[in-house]
Amino acid sequence: MSPSGKTSNKLAKVNGEICGICQACATVCPKNAIDVFEHYIVILPDKCNGCGTCTKVCPVEAIELVER
Amino acid sequence: MSSDNHIIIVGGGPAGSATALAARREGAEVTIVDRKTHVGIPVQCGEAIGKTGPGIAEIEIPEESIRVPIRGFRVYSPALISVDFAEKEPSGYIIDRRVFDKELLARAAESGSDVLLGAKVIDLTRTKGLVDGVVVRHNGARKKIKAKVVIGADGVNSEIARLTGLRRSFKPADIDSCFGYEMVNCDLEFPDLMEFLLGSNLCPRGYIWIFPKGEGRANVGIGIGGGFGVYTAQQYLDNFLKNNEIAKRQLARAKIVECRVGALPVCGPNEQNVVDGALLVGDAAGHVHPITGGGMGYAMVCGSIAGQVAAQCVAKGDVSAARLQEYETRWRKRYGDEFAQSLKLRDLLIETEDETLDKLAKIVTGDSVVKLAAARKIKIFAKAVATRDRKLITLMRELRKLKMV
Repeated sequence: MSPSGKTSNKLAKVNGEICGICQACATVCPKNAIDVFEHYIVILPDKCNGCGTCTKVCPVEAIELVER
Repeated sequence: MSSDNHIIIVGGGPAGSATALAARREGAEVTIVDRKTHVGIPVQCGEAIGKTGPGIAEIEIPEESIRVPIRGFRVYSPALISVDFAEKEPSGYIIDRRVFDKELLARAAESGSDVLLGAKVIDLTRTKGLVDGVVVRHNGARKKIKAKVVIGADGVNSEIARLTGLRRSFKPADIDSCFGYEMVNCDLEFPDLMEFLLGSNLCPRGYIWIFPKGEGRANVGIGIGGGFGVYTAQQYLDNFLKNNEIAKRQLARAKIVECRVGALPVCGPNEQNVVDGALLVGDAAGHVHPITGGGMGYAMVCGSIAGQVAAQCVAKGDVSAARLQEYETRWRKRYGDEFAQSLKLRDLLIETEDETLDKLAKIVTGDSVVKLAAARKIKIFAKAVATRDRKLITLMRELRKLKMV
């Protein structure tokens, strides 16, 4: 892990067209960087450290890591 | 609402509504707040419920939510050897969660609870360390709501669990990642049995379900352990529909009319569900069966206990964790062993190879297991012992502890 606390220069990104808001990603996010609303979810870029844990539990491939 | 016996329940699902009904019976003032504007939508569930839980909680299952009565279930081993666990009479139902959740919330409101929809909790308020309210965003504005007790019934991704420190984030393996379809034109072989399929390639650390809904309709879904799969839950389910014999037999003509996703805590209850001035119920508390993923019955029973205990503590003017602990003690007395045993069996199942499950199914098949006489059970166990397969015998032993065979 770098001194800035980021494990990578990556960032999680949600595809809102696929996401069904099951919240699996938010429950496993170690940085609490995923905020869930009634009709959409939001990745908080200041908190996301690009670890990719969220991508392991998505039932529909709606979340992926992208370059910052 | 500023009365001195006010309880806030965060989450208007079955856990929250059951809690509210019980708290109202004890005379507390109740406000249910929910992030959403429609409870029960989108449906994130297979929609199976047993009669036992609602019976204990003394909550009548809303008639209009019942789709079909269910007598039990059929499990298919990886090689598709089937074992039935069925009663003569219905032991549960497949329901419509849209109707079910809404009706329970309506009853809670009719019993005198206030309901605040579209209110997202963003923080707790505390006085001298004691939780005494929530901060919500509602209609674009921040708003404080004071209460003597705050109850988190806000699901697997519980904000109250996070804010109280009762739970940190889950590990992927702690949850199941679920995907499902509602289908029509199904040719189900057993319209009053649920069907489960197991197999490490079919659905790693999980199962596929086919739940009949009457008139050729069914919920067909999958739950897989977080991080256990090579593919997504949806990809595993689509593969099943395309390639599995059971799907070909029953779902070849079927059409998809709804897609569903969901996430479940399957790591057993939180170590602690109570702090000074707050407690957790339902999925937020981890009250979900680690193998079946069922949670509504537990949510309603434990929610009823929580509502009663919270209201009594409020009435006595002491909502410290020490007093609210009665909730923790009472739900553990009822379900603590069940959760612990099931978790043990679940962990054993993770290590069990498909061949062992097939062997086990071969030994037990042909009988409706619930109806087995004691003598027959001993005979089956003897057969298992005769295989001299250590893993199989261990598995059989754990199943016997849970009174399944």
